[in-house]
Amino acid sequence: MRSDAAKGLTLSAPATLYVGFLVAAPLAILVAYSLWTQTYVSVDRTLTLANYKEAFTDPLVRHLMIRSVLIAGAVTIVTVALAYPIAYFIALKAERKTLWLLLITIPFWSSYLLRVFAWKLILGFNGVLNSALLGVGMISEPLTFLLYNEFAVVLTLAHAWAPFAILPIYVSLQKIDPSLLEAATDLGNSAVQRFLRVTLPLTIPGIIAACLIIFIPTVGDYVTPSLVGGSDGKMIANLIQVQFGAANNWPLGATLSLLAMMSVGFVAILFVLSASGLGRRIR
Amino acid sequence: MTEKNIIRLQGIEKRFGQFVAVSNLDLDLREGEFFSLLGPSGCGKTTALRMIAGFQEPTAGKVIIDGQDMEGIPANKRPTNMVFQSYAIFPHLNVGNNVAYGLRNRGISKSEIDTRVSEALEMVELGGLQSRGATELSGGQRQRVALARALVMRPKVLLLDEPLSALDKKLREQMQFEMRHLQQELGITFVMVTHDQYEAMTMSDRIGVMFEGRLVQVDAPPTLYAKPCNREIASFIGEMNFLPAELTAEKGDTLTISTPCFCAMTIEKNPNVEQTGRAIEIGIRPEQLEISAQEPDGYDGTVQGTVRDVAFYGENVHYHVQVDGVARPISASVPNYFHTVDYRPGDAVWLGVQSASVIDLGQNQSNT
Repeated sequence: MRSDAAKGLTLSAPATLYVGFLVAAPLAILVAYSLWTQTYVSVDRTLTLANYKEAFTDPLVRHLMIRSVLIAGAVTIVTVALAYPIAYFIALKAERKTLWLLLITIPFWSSYLLRVFAWKLILGFNGVLNSALLGVGMISEPLTFLLYNEFAVVLTLAHAWAPFAILPIYVSLQKIDPSLLEAATDLGNSAVQRFLRVTLPLTIPGIIAACLIIFIPTVGDYVTPSLVGGSDGKMIANLIQVQFGAANNWPLGATLSLLAMMSVGFVAILFVLSASGLGRRIR
Repeated sequence: MTEKNIIRLQGIEKRFGQFVAVSNLDLDLREGEFFSLLGPSGCGKTTALRMIAGFQEPTAGKVIIDGQDMEGIPANKRPTNMVFQSYAIFPHLNVGNNVAYGLRNRGISKSEIDTRVSEALEMVELGGLQSRGATELSGGQRQRVALARALVMRPKVLLLDEPLSALDKKLREQMQFEMRHLQQELGITFVMVTHDQYEAMTMSDRIGVMFEGRLVQVDAPPTLYAKPCNREIASFIGEMNFLPAELTAEKGDTLTISTPCFCAMTIEKNPNVEQTGRAIEIGIRPEQLEISAQEPDGYDGTVQGTVRDVAFYGENVHYHVQVDGVARPISASVPNYFHTVDYRPGDAVWLGVQSASVIDLGQNQSNT
């Protein structure tokens, strides 16, 4: 007869193996690499903090890191601000909720890469937008500020992440007991006051979830900045990719990855604390 | 209680598409009374309450509160406050902020708000619990917070939507008395919606009974119980024996009837029902029947029968007595008083009734 402990181990084994081999081990290797150094073709395995020193002193690293956090922050704000009204409409006003949710997930039926390329076609020098504006005579020569800059990166990412923001906000709105809204009205609130004092504070968990889901992967995004970012839109992930590729400096790449991870964690924790603190102050 | 009307509902009708939720509702509520709208679920009582609160606009008719027509006045501008069935306590606010919620809309000073909140909490016996979280409250406490949050607004009318249905029996009975006392102390008009007749009867000054969107009878609880205006009400409120009877003579306000069991009796005529044929129906409350082993003296009608079933309810005992000529057994209830009576199934017994406790229910529409 098997003991409870054995049953527990058996049940948790797949998850333990998965996390062990695919999360913990690679992370350990990354940490190890960050403490080694690259000497031309081989790796010197003496433990040193030289890579960290280089990363902290190099102005390019600092510049790209700050830009990555700022772009990711901008993407998060734009996406959540646009997603909230949509989620609000579906959760509280729409009659055919399932249909709307289905429509919102449709962009996901095509590949992420394809969607980025689609934006390239729309925003490009000879793209859809420029041709249309030229065609109706609103501009005399193609606009060049549309593509290959931060704006293009923010726009593309905001579009790509929209469903990830809509869904958690939708769920938190859906959970609000309608009688709470009636109670707020009954106690004298106008629609706007009611939104600010009841609906918004009760959806803060959904907003925080949406922000984290978008912010964390966006800081490390690599495809979008390389396709639509140009030289102005490059982010930290592009530099990391170079270290593991052309520059052939895996230890520095590992260091930059860990630093990016830490700054994301730091900003995320700061954000969660301040957002929930703000929510508690609404009365 | 004054004779002043605080709410007047004039020819209210509410339709949802084809469905008529409330039809032709006329009702005057007096200032300071505890009024209950009673009826089975789906009878339109909650819709009526929500039209007073302003959450729903009547399809036709007028809601007048304190002399002012409420048409076009939204719920947040009406002099009413509501206690919701689910209590609707804001989960993100503590008890103090829940109660202060409405006051913060009125530009009242912080110290004034604090004073009024603590007074309101004292009133519902939750004094000093301002900082308790909304999620840490028991069902009874939630109910009290909901009451305090509405009463702190000093509404002209307090609306209560099934306020006690979420509580267990003991707590519910306790809250019935507390709410009644609170209402009498404050002198605020309470309008309560309930499907529980005992709740309505113990708490209210007057009860309005609704069926399928119609307001059928409005009366004080004792009148409603003793003189139900028709069979619908008679069977909804309390227990009732329905018996067939034959109308033999009609004179002024009285009817002379003969029944298969109780012989001839002269009873009061019910002006609310029609007696077009000779076959009418009468009602007798179980506790109005005397049960004894010998034929009882001094009763207007007596009949012999056989005990079929005995149901013990604690404070009283119900005997189901089979009588010749009546399809369904007649129920007689006897207070459980020193066990003076004790009959068993099969015993031969006599039933006696006074004609004053026989209720005329008009033309017989049932088949029994």
